[in-house]
Amino acid sequence: MTVRLTNEGLISLEGVVLVEDAEPLLQLLLTHPAAAIDWRACDHAHAAIIQILMASGIAPIGPPSGVFMRTVVEPALERYRERAFPKGA
Amino acid sequence: MNEFIEQFLLEARELVEQATNDLLMLEQSPTDKAPLDSAFRAFHTLKGSAAIVDFTAMTRALHAAEDVLARVRAGAAPVTPALIGDSLSCLDQVVQWLDQMQADGESPTNADAAADAIVARFAPGAAPDPPSSSESLDHAWVDKLLERNRAPGARARSAVRYAPLADAFFHGEDPLAVIGSLPGLLAIDLEPGQAWAPLDGLDPFDCRLVFTALSTASAEELSHWLRPHSNVAHVRPLVEPALEDALSPDACRLLDAQLRLLGERDEDGRSGRIASAGRVAVNVLRYAGRSTEADQIDQMISSGQSGRVGEALAGAIRAILDGPAIGAPTAPTTGPLAQPAQEARILRVDVERIDTLVNLTGELIVLKNTLGHTTGLMQAGADARTLAVALKDQHARLERLTTELQRSVLGIRVLPLQHVFQRFPRLVRELAASVDKSVRLVTEGDTTEADKAIVESLFEPLLHMVRNALDHGVESAAERAAAGKTPVATIHLRGARVGDQVLIDVEDDGRGIDVDRVRRVAIERGAASPQAIEEMSDEAAAELIFAPGFSTAAAVTDLSGRGVGMDAVRTAIGRLGGQVTLENRPGRGVKVRLTLPFTVMMTRLMVVEAGGEAFGLPMEAVIETVRVPRRRITPIGAARAVVLRGRTFPVIDLAEALGEPRAAAPAGDATLVVVAADGRLGSLEVDRLGERIDVILKPMDGLLAGAPGVAGTTLLGDGRVLIVLDPRALLQ
Repeated sequence: MTVRLTNEGLISLEGVVLVEDAEPLLQLLLTHPAAAIDWRACDHAHAAIIQILMASGIAPIGPPSGVFMRTVVEPALERYRERAFPKGA
Repeated sequence: MNEFIEQFLLEARELVEQATNDLLMLEQSPTDKAPLDSAFRAFHTLKGSAAIVDFTAMTRALHAAEDVLARVRAGAAPVTPALIGDSLSCLDQVVQWLDQMQADGESPTNADAAADAIVARFAPGAAPDPPSSSESLDHAWVDKLLERNRAPGARARSAVRYAPLADAFFHGEDPLAVIGSLPGLLAIDLEPGQAWAPLDGLDPFDCRLVFTALSTASAEELSHWLRPHSNVAHVRPLVEPALEDALSPDACRLLDAQLRLLGERDEDGRSGRIASAGRVAVNVLRYAGRSTEADQIDQMISSGQSGRVGEALAGAIRAILDGPAIGAPTAPTTGPLAQPAQEARILRVDVERIDTLVNLTGELIVLKNTLGHTTGLMQAGADARTLAVALKDQHARLERLTTELQRSVLGIRVLPLQHVFQRFPRLVRELAASVDKSVRLVTEGDTTEADKAIVESLFEPLLHMVRNALDHGVESAAERAAAGKTPVATIHLRGARVGDQVLIDVEDDGRGIDVDRVRRVAIERGAASPQAIEEMSDEAAAELIFAPGFSTAAAVTDLSGRGVGMDAVRTAIGRLGGQVTLENRPGRGVKVRLTLPFTVMMTRLMVVEAGGEAFGLPMEAVIETVRVPRRRITPIGAARAVVLRGRTFPVIDLAEALGEPRAAAPAGDATLVVVAADGRLGSLEVDRLGERIDVILKPMDGLLAGAPGVAGTTLLGDGRVLIVLDPRALLQ
């Protein structure tokens, strides 16, 4: 499982998270609205996953392990969150 | 990559090139039918090939273009620049798809949107593209992107906006991976294309993302990279490369002066001039911040004092002044890019054949040494008779060796027919299914070899022939049963080598050609005068299916029936130096036979003289040579004819046909060469018959490429250029 609910109640994104994982991620977010997302073990996430992160406004616990994710995607996501959810959701 | 796709790519690129040339020619002369027909054929074949590799989007786009061209052909629509432009855009899109296929090894799955755009272009009453109102928008996103990314923005050379289609995820794309793979990526910005739905109503598979990105790569490179996504991605250059490191006018003036200095012819003080010019150039370049070039020139002047340095230095300075083509691409460079060069073609060669070549080379060297010995004898004053014998012997050996060498080299260029035959079984199955007929394909003789160029050009003509057999020849199962035939029809694809020729038969056991119907249709379409058609023998009437624009199919189908098939076959085979013959057995089927030369490189010629000049005639066209008394040539109207063995042949005076008026009718017998081409017979009157020679024919190129009636040129033993005539054109 690349998307799973950990024993600590975190939604964890691990390895290469595929487009198929978008639906389970969305379900987890809907059923556990308070859960934090941990993507420290994420090598790459599909655009569909990033889209859910953007729409939810959640700041995942990072930094992710993938270089592109860490250096490019995470800062972009953060900037987007600052624009879209100014007070920090 | 799948071999089908490989072949498809190769051919499709050739067809695109052909269609592009034809469209451009058509634009030049909109009333000329030849480029229109040729462009139409290219689109038609391209569409057919796309259908074979199951690339429906491309089939749709090409079908739309083809329909419009068909209207133009029928005279229902005019040739307009817009039409040419739309057709060319369609081809550009095809090239993009081909590139994508080349990279991925399969047909693109996300091509539907682009195909829709092409189809919309050709829709009746389609408005021309609205002038892009997104220009200001364009600036807005670039400005925002730079504002948010100040630090990387300073280093960026180009900006990208990429808004994948909503169904991108369904097509297996990961837009983030696309962005991540961009060269020189500095930073990205993420935006939703529209406001997000609340989480419980969010469709996770509906792509709403818009990416903007900054990169250190040039706009050109990015456009190339994003070519598969060119419909949804825009690239803008941020710096104008010309300004980036262009030389100031003063610097140019200084360099120009050095160039003049170097150009002086005076030998005195030459090395001093070179050194000083070089030093000035180095300093100018250093000052302009072009240190690489400065270093190069520095090295050049310190490397040596020889006279060459001056020239090299002048060349280098001139190159810097002319500059690499740094125009200023201020417009977004998302347009079609140049086609990539065709990859090198590779041929597999048996080691044995290489060994033969090595042995032959060895023998040639021995012969060369023998010749050296003979030359020595000659210098020593040996007897002329002895020398003649020796030389004659050596010439004979040389002749044997070159013949063998030629054969071996040509042998390397051969491919088995299997190369093209193997593509038909699947094709026939699918084509048969599409017209709901059951057909069995039998291929024979697929190990028959022929020149690579011939084998590779055979697919298209064979495809047309097989399609025609399937569509027109083969009957429905019920019809076959009524005629007492087996329910499953058979199409034979047969290859055989006979002497220096390769024969390929496409034979079906269908209903045969309905000659009366062909006659009727030919009269309707005005393929020839009604009287001429009525008087034709059945065999000649059946041949009418080769006439351009002739088609007996009532409906236009995917399969055939555009009336381009058989006409195209005859043209293509004729271009290869071959012939197409037809054997019609009404009720029992049709056999179409292609007779092709084994190799395209060697041609046997008969040299003839007319009007004081020598010309070559291809031996394959020459049937016989005869001398007849002049009184047997009878004038008929403005022409002349002769009766040979009960048959009447037109007599064409070769000198006259070539534009050299004859002063007076010569006395004595007339020398006639009876030639045949494209099923026509005629006789050429010449002054003299010459030798027969084997040559490697060079087709005309450059200005003479289109010269009518000339097949090519070759060199004679005495160094004269021999013009080889095309009998087809002479008999028309």
